[in-house]
Amino acid sequence: MRVTIDRDLCVGHGLCYMLAPDVFHDDDEGYGQVTDDGPVAADRVEGARRAAGSCPERAITLITATATATATAD
Amino acid sequence: MSAGEAQPFTFEDLPVRDDRDAAWRLIRERGGIVQLEPDIALTDHALVEAAFRNPAVFSSRQAFDSLGSPLPLVPIAFDPPEHARYRHILQPFFSPRSIRPLEPELRRQLAELIAPLPARRECDFVADVASVFPVQAFLTFFGLPLDMRDQFVAWKDAILALSDPSGAISTDEADLRHAGELFTYLSELVAARRGVPGPDVLSELLCLDGDDALTDAEVIGLCFLFVLAGLDTVTDALGFGMERLARNPDRRQEIVDDPALVPAAVEELLRLDPPAPFVPRITTAATELGGRTLPAGTRVTAYIAACNRDEARYPDPYGIDFHRGDNPHASFGVGVHRCLGSHLARLEMRLVYEEWHRLIPHYDIAPGFAPTVKFPRGTVGLEALPLVLTPGAAR
Repeated sequence: MRVTIDRDLCVGHGLCYMLAPDVFHDDDEGYGQVTDDGPVAADRVEGARRAAGSCPERAITLITATATATATAD
Repeated sequence: MSAGEAQPFTFEDLPVRDDRDAAWRLIRERGGIVQLEPDIALTDHALVEAAFRNPAVFSSRQAFDSLGSPLPLVPIAFDPPEHARYRHILQPFFSPRSIRPLEPELRRQLAELIAPLPARRECDFVADVASVFPVQAFLTFFGLPLDMRDQFVAWKDAILALSDPSGAISTDEADLRHAGELFTYLSELVAARRGVPGPDVLSELLCLDGDDALTDAEVIGLCFLFVLAGLDTVTDALGFGMERLARNPDRRQEIVDDPALVPAAVEELLRLDPPAPFVPRITTAATELGGRTLPAGTRVTAYIAACNRDEARYPDPYGIDFHRGDNPHASFGVGVHRCLGSHLARLEMRLVYEEWHRLIPHYDIAPGFAPTVKFPRGTVGLEALPLVLTPGAAR
């Protein structure tokens, strides 16, 4: 699984890098950034999912090998 | 009144004043979506998510009209896409990286507030710490002199009295005069700082240009919102938090022994006692929610403290536990309007709990005193929290 943030949607609530600091980090202005463009390590997938589900702007997309889905809450 | 009775159950019937845990239990037992005059109340996290993530139908546009602000409350009374513009402009000022440099100065101010208290052997935590520190933090953040503190407290109390969301709006002449004075002060301040570079948030907001440039009216509206949303909320959360810590010496001892637990304690205390527990929206069209049909124009209010006691999300939801790990409480709101100042609020609360317990690890609620909550009103907090301070080694 990979993860992306839509920069047009992100307004910097900062939940992703608080909930999953090993997947996301903040940039200088507080917007979320994906730390590593490659596949998310297995032990970090749950954190990435939680962050995607919690994003108030639905700006985080989880990309799996078979399907692409913008995460829904929980 | 028992839960089974058919007579209308109203907001004012909730026993928030004397036993808020009982109030939230009572409303939760009535279901996830409940007629609670004068609103429809949501007490279930999933229903709040469903509504608040659909701002086209569950709108903020008229939901705050009763706040009586002289200007549009940027950005809480706006829906997307206008809302996103303000959020984009404002968020960088409230990001963790922007807030972090304030920490040493705010910690210094706190130590100065708290250090003289043990010699008195008693204090009112609300009056002596919780109601003054957030005002100092606001003044520091905005680059205003700290000697404006007591003036700001008076202005803030007046505009909150004029804007009580429960509808009990003051018509007191002194309140109106104070609100007018704040408006005049902010107008003059904005005029003076317009185009003058400075390191504080206000100067930076006024120096924005191009698409991000804000009008004087927008900036004054923002300042009003910061005063409405950013001062008493922190005061009230701190008062509630300290009351819980005073009543639960074992939990308190945990953070005295291990200050690294304070961030988790901040979240847990906020989960139990959101200072803004009633968050309103108004439907723009007929819609379905939780099996109910809601006509257009329905006022739907999220009961945040009830949602935060959802057994499915929190084992032992009425207990205090600083080791929950995940604590996805809704106390900063849900959806696009989630609190802009959450990182600043968290910093303020963490510093208060850290400095207080470093300097005053032993305290108790004054004998015979029963803390009561200001209610009915839209934001809730303790009127006072008299503490007796027991001598003991400070760290």
